[in-house]
Parts: sequence; C-alpha cells; structure tokens
Amino acid sequence: MNNILETQGLFHDFSGLQVLSDVNLHIREGERHAVIGPNGAGKTTLFNVVTGTYAPSRGQVFFKGRDVTGLPPNELSRIGMGRSFQITSTFGRLSAFQNIRLAILSKRGIRFSLFRSVDKMLEITHETDAVLERINLTAERDRAANALSYGKHRALEISLALATDPELVLLDEFAAGMSRDETHYAVELVRRLTEGKTVVLIEHDMDVVFSLADRITVLHHGEILATGTPAEIRQNQAVKDAYLGDLEV
Amino acid sequence: MSTVVPRLGWAAVAGALAVLPAVVGPYYTNVFVTFAIFAVFSVSLNLLLGYTGLFSFGHAMFFGAGGYGTALALKHVSGLALLPAVGAGVLAAVVLALVLAPIVVRVSGTAFAMLHLAFSQVLYVLALKLRAITGGEDGIGNFPIPPLNIPGVASIPMKDSPQNFYYFAIVLLALSLWLMWFFTKTPFGQVQLAIRENARRTDYLGFKVPQSKAVIYLVSAAFAGVSGSLYGLFHNLVSADGAFGALVSFAPIINIMIGGIGSFMGPVLGTALFLVIEEVTSRFTERVELVIGLIFVLGIMFAPLGVLGTARKLRQKWRADREARASVRRTA
Amino acid sequence: MDQTTAMYVAQGLHGLAYGMVLFLIAAGLNVIFGMMGILNLAHASFFMLSAYIGFQVVSITGNFWLALLLAPPATAICGVLMERFLLTKVHAFGHMGELILTLGVAQIILAAVKGVWGTESLPLKMPPILEGRLTLAGLDYPIYRLFIIALALAILAIMSLLLYKTRLGKIVRAAVSDAGMVNALGINIPLVFMLVFGIGIWMAGVAGVAIAPILTVFPGLADQVGMDAFIVVVTGGFGSLLGAFVVSIIFGLLSSYGVQFFSQFASVLIVGFMAVVLAIRPNDLFGAKDA
Repeated sequence: MNNILETQGLFHDFSGLQVLSDVNLHIREGERHAVIGPNGAGKTTLFNVVTGTYAPSRGQVFFKGRDVTGLPPNELSRIGMGRSFQITSTFGRLSAFQNIRLAILSKRGIRFSLFRSVDKMLEITHETDAVLERINLTAERDRAANALSYGKHRALEISLALATDPELVLLDEFAAGMSRDETHYAVELVRRLTEGKTVVLIEHDMDVVFSLADRITVLHHGEILATGTPAEIRQNQAVKDAYLGDLEV
Repeated sequence: MSTVVPRLGWAAVAGALAVLPAVVGPYYTNVFVTFAIFAVFSVSLNLLLGYTGLFSFGHAMFFGAGGYGTALALKHVSGLALLPAVGAGVLAAVVLALVLAPIVVRVSGTAFAMLHLAFSQVLYVLALKLRAITGGEDGIGNFPIPPLNIPGVASIPMKDSPQNFYYFAIVLLALSLWLMWFFTKTPFGQVQLAIRENARRTDYLGFKVPQSKAVIYLVSAAFAGVSGSLYGLFHNLVSADGAFGALVSFAPIINIMIGGIGSFMGPVLGTALFLVIEEVTSRFTERVELVIGLIFVLGIMFAPLGVLGTARKLRQKWRADREARASVRRTA
Repeated sequence: MDQTTAMYVAQGLHGLAYGMVLFLIAAGLNVIFGMMGILNLAHASFFMLSAYIGFQVVSITGNFWLALLLAPPATAICGVLMERFLLTKVHAFGHMGELILTLGVAQIILAAVKGVWGTESLPLKMPPILEGRLTLAGLDYPIYRLFIIALALAILAIMSLLLYKTRLGKIVRAAVSDAGMVNALGINIPLVFMLVFGIGIWMAGVAGVAIAPILTVFPGLADQVGMDAFIVVVTGGFGSLLGAFVVSIIFGLLSSYGVQFFSQFASVLIVGFMAVVLAIRPNDLFGAKDA
C-alpha cells in the first residue's frame, strides 16, 4: 500500500504566528481522506503548502515518493496534482466550455501552441464537451462562468480541478455555500468524478465527511489531533473535546 | 453559406483598399497610411491590455525601437534591402522586449503600468542624449529607402512614390493584423485570456504564467515594431519625439479606450475615430492635450468600455430585456 | 576652504536644494499611494499649477510671500476637487481607471496653463531679502537655495510632528497601513483621504512656488520635475517616507554632480539607477499594494 502523498515534519508560520506544527500526513493511494478541524486549524494553509502556493517554513512534502517541497503549483499540476478552491475561482468572463477546455489543453500538454486554430481542434472540443456532459453543464456550455447559478458554478470549479485528470486531487470545501439538496448532488458528482483517484478534502459538513471519507485526519491549532476511520474518529475523546461533541451525526 | 458572406466581405474590403489611392487622392491616402500604422500599433497593445490584462503605459518603446532599428540599419548598412530593414526594426523591438521581459512578467497591475512608463522615459532620454547614435532631438532623417525587390519579378521604388509605399505598407500591416488575429485564435490565445481572468488558477492548471506572459509580450512588441518601422519609413525620419513622445505613448491607449478594449477590432475603430476627432478639433484648437485629457477623463468616467464595448453591453441589455418580457408573457 | 572644495560644496548644496524640492513632491505622492493605492499621475501637474498661480499672485501683488502663502492651498483645493468628484467615480475600474483619469487631468492642466499663460518661460521673482549670497568660510553661496533647504526641512519637521505626535497623525498612519480597518473603527475614512490628499498636493504646491524663481515657470515643468519625483518614489519604495527622503537627497546630489561632471548623461545615469533598483527588487516595491 503506497502513500501517494506524505508530509514530514511540516511547520509553517506567518510572521511569527505558528499555523502548522509538525504535521505528518499520510494519504494512501486511492483513498478518500477528509481533513477536518475547527476554523483556524490550519487546513487551508496545509493545502497551500502541499499544492505549492508557498513553501513550508520547515518540513517536506512527498508526492508519489518524490520530494516536491516548494515546487510551484503549475509543476505540481503537471505531475498529477489538482486543487479546487473554497471561494470559487474560475475564469469568470469565459464560457463554461472555455474554462474546461483550458484544463484539457493543459492535460494534453498544449500550453504554448501558436500555430493552430483552437476552435478547429475537434478532439479537444469533443473531450471538453464530454466533461461538460458529465457535470451536466451541456446546456450552459456557452454561458459565462460568472453567469452560472451558484451550484453550477461550484460544479465548474470542482470540475476544473479534475479535468486535468490528476491522480491526486485536493478539494477545499467543495460544497461550500450549498443547500442540502445541492450538497447531496455535489457529493454524488464528486464520488463519480473521482473514481480511481485519490482525494483529500477539507470539509466542515460532517454529512459529507461521513458519506465520502475512508479516513479522516483532525487538525487542531495546526497540529494533527488524530487520524483514523470515521468510526475511530467518532470515538476519539480528544477529538470530541476539541469539537465539544459536534461530531455526533 | 456561412463562410461565403464573410469571404465576400473581405474581398470587398481588399478591393476598396486596392483602389483607394486612385479614389481619394494623395492627401487622404497618406492619412490612411497613418491610420493603418496606428491601428496595428494599437491592436498590438491590446494584445497585452485587452487580451491578457497587462496595462502598459510605455508601448511606444517598441514602436520607437522599430523605427530606430530600421533607420539605423538603412543608414549604416549600405545596400540593405527593404524587407530586411523592416526586419531589423522588428528585431530591435523584440530584443528590447527580451531584455525587459524577465522583470516585467513578474509584476502586474499598477507595477506593470508604471514600470513601463519609467522604461519608456528612459528610452526617450537615451534617444535624446545619445546624439552620436540617434541624432538627438533631430533624429535620423533622410536615410536611404531602398526599392522593394521581388527577385526576378520587379523592383518597386519606394522613396518618392507615395502610392507604391501605400501598397507596401497596407500589405504589411494587413498581414500583421491577420497574424495577430490568428494569434488570439490559437490555443495559446486561450491561455492569454485565462491569465487575464485568473492568473492564479491558470498557474494551478499547469500553465507557466510568467513564461506565457513573456511570449505575449514579445509578440506584442514585434508588431509594435512593425508599425514603428513603417512609420519611420513613411516619414523618412525617426526622432525622439516622434518615436517615444507622449503622444505616441498615449495614442494607442486612447484608441483602445475609444474603440473598446474587449474586442479585436475595437482599437482599429478607435484609431479611426480618434483620427477624425483630431482632424476636426485641430481646426478649432491647437490644444491636443485638452482633447486627450478630456477623452481620458470623460471616457473612463462615462464610457469606460469604449464604443464597441458599450455597444455590446447595450445589445446584451436589450436582449436580456426582450427575454424577460418574453418570459413574462409566457407565464401570464 | 579653497576654491575646489568650495565648488564641490556649492554643487552639493544645489543638489540638496533640488533633492529637498523633490522630496516635498515625492512625499505627497508616496503617502497618497501608500494609503489609497492611487498613483496620482497629475501630482506633478499640480506642482506646476501652483507655480503658475504663484506667478499670477506675484504679477498682481508683487509679493513673493503672498504667493507662497496662497498658491499651494489654492492648488490643494483643486486637487481635492479632483479626488472628490472624479477619482471616486472610477474606483470600480481599479488602478487602470485611476491611472487614466489622473493622466487625463494632467493633460487638461497642461492645456489650461498653456491656454492661460502661453508657452513662454515666465520669471518668478524671488523676494529681495533672499536675493544675494552668503559668504561663509570661503564659500560664497546664494541665500535663496539655503532658504529652500530650510523651508523643506521646516515642513518636514512639522509633518513629522503631525504624523507622530498627534491623534490625527496616528489615524493617518493607521490608514496607510490598513484603511479598511480604520474605516471599520468608525473613523470617516473618506474625510481622512481627502485631508491627506490635500496636504500632499499642498506640499507639492509649496515646492512649485519655491523652485519657480530658479527653474522659471514653463509648461514643461510638470514633465521634467515630475519624472524625477516619480523615480524617487519608485526607487525609495512606495509607502516608505524615509526611503523617499534618502533617495531624494541622493538623486539631488547625483543630478547636481552629474550635470557637472557627466553633462548629458546625468539623466541617463539617474534613470539607470532606477532601472537597476527595479531590476533587483520590483516586487518588493509594489508587492504590498498590488491587487
């Protein structure tokens, strides 16, 4: 059993404020792993360090066995890591089609192509349309991302992270701001789209966590409090204390 | 059917351009050449501004480099042919862009704009002060303008033949325009747009943003160089003011603002309109600054999207209104 | 001191005087950018406008001191009007909008001064008291330039006092750091902005009247001195008043000694200096204030 993602002794501080302390994360290949914790626990910072937004103050990140500490996001994307954002971050004035197409172009290594007309690249168009179909955005194909309804915009957001076909995808509160129904729908979407991939998700919604996660890591004040299966975490006293019993679902 | 109409349209335009000198006479032919030069220059800036979101106040740098490159090449290399001379101008602009690229692609927004203002000032001062090379305030004038040599076919004189020069310039400029248009239609053109919309996400999707910006920067500079080179040939004079002066720096921005930033042809329309405004107001006042200033101030306050942009917004609004009314009728 | 040393010292004082004037302009620009994120491209134009208004006052009253007293506030009012009625309308378009707007205003001011006063160089006579030279230890130096240095230092002292010893100053410093927070604390941020903007332009206005007797009043003033001030702000670091001060002095000295010994390359040297600084730390300078 391989750890597709590992952090060793990860520390990070912002101008003296210690946000991550000795974080040793082990993500197994193929699993769906949730990272939970109260606000300010350091979850997004962990994501940022892992995905290359910034290099950690101390410690290392290993991806597929290779030390990738401090590599920039674009390089990590190219070696198989994808990431979605809690606050929707798409290409606002471009259409849903153009948004996804960019991911497909990158996946195919077409990043500096200057001599062909992109609209005439039928394979790209077909592949993009296929993705749009899988996320039910075919009707909104030519609508600007900013003009999509919230739920569909979030679907686009998640899909952008997945369209480059990464082996590991990090989803930051993918269901943020969604209603009950929208969340159920989103969970099914994520389950479908991440078949065969490894997923790490930051989540607040315990319904989502327990529906999707194989294992859970609890972060508190920048430290890992516990790691284990949902059942184990439910029983864990330290976790319960930290959350004041909020884990009861 | 769908490709026939546009093709007919372009054929008509080509035809009109072919007979223009005969129809409008020498004065307006020259005005048209000026228009074409500045249209290409403005579109080249729009590649940076409208398509990539990089705002440069000093695009005149590359225009001037093109002019000086060509003028110096013709002055010092005896027997240099016409096209290579233009090439020298383009090369000068591209080299300049290569030198600046490492700095400018790592900044954005205000920083980018101000850096360019500063750099173009540097070049202006250099052009003025390095008299030995650039001729200082007087510039380089009366350099030889070779004929256009099509080997085995013809040698078309350019120097005192405004008509020949017109055709030469128009062909080169139309080609430039088409190349830039094609550039925006490539996969890389999509990356440009992505950078404009969300540079961070572009990075996360696996694209190398600084390098991509550099490519766009070079392409934009090259075409500014073409227009600058032709401008120098057109006047048979390249000088600090004509190449790097404030008007040259502001003109493309004005043209883009008037015509509309979000479309390819917007700057072309803006160039035409601004030329008309200039012609008209110059009969009433010498105060070019006033006109420019008012366009900037009133434009950004009341019509920031320019003519085409505002037109598009209005059209969208009408369409949305129509849809709203239609849906009310349906549910009634 | 001997002749050569005296010459060096004199050149140094020339440079110091010019540097001080630059600082007066740069300081305002700096604080405005630091607090509002606006690079006011019309700043130097207001500097020039004040010189012209000063000229007009002297033409009418023959009194330099009156010009120094009245022209800067008059100019400051124009500046505040621009900020209130024009700048606020273009915030939605971000920095590009502000740049274009202030650029437009700069052009309009240029057209206005040309229209009202023509394109010739106009003299502004310094007050009789300040004419003449001071002889000290073998150095023979024009009093007026010493006056400029003293004036600038006095304003600097007053501003520092205001900034560091008064409640208002504390508010302004906080606003430069985090305007949003200060606003959240219930302080009328637009009013603070207006005040700071006004004072910044006032300082530029004082600089305009002060340097007019030396440079004369002409339409190219804004471009000439403005470029220098801009270079100072950029290399000194946006938001760093001390940086701007140090660079102003260096700049003044460079341009003064440069003119003496490098003649035509002085300006190239200076701009080269800026390019080098920018090449080394472009993000440092702009990073904090960039979107």
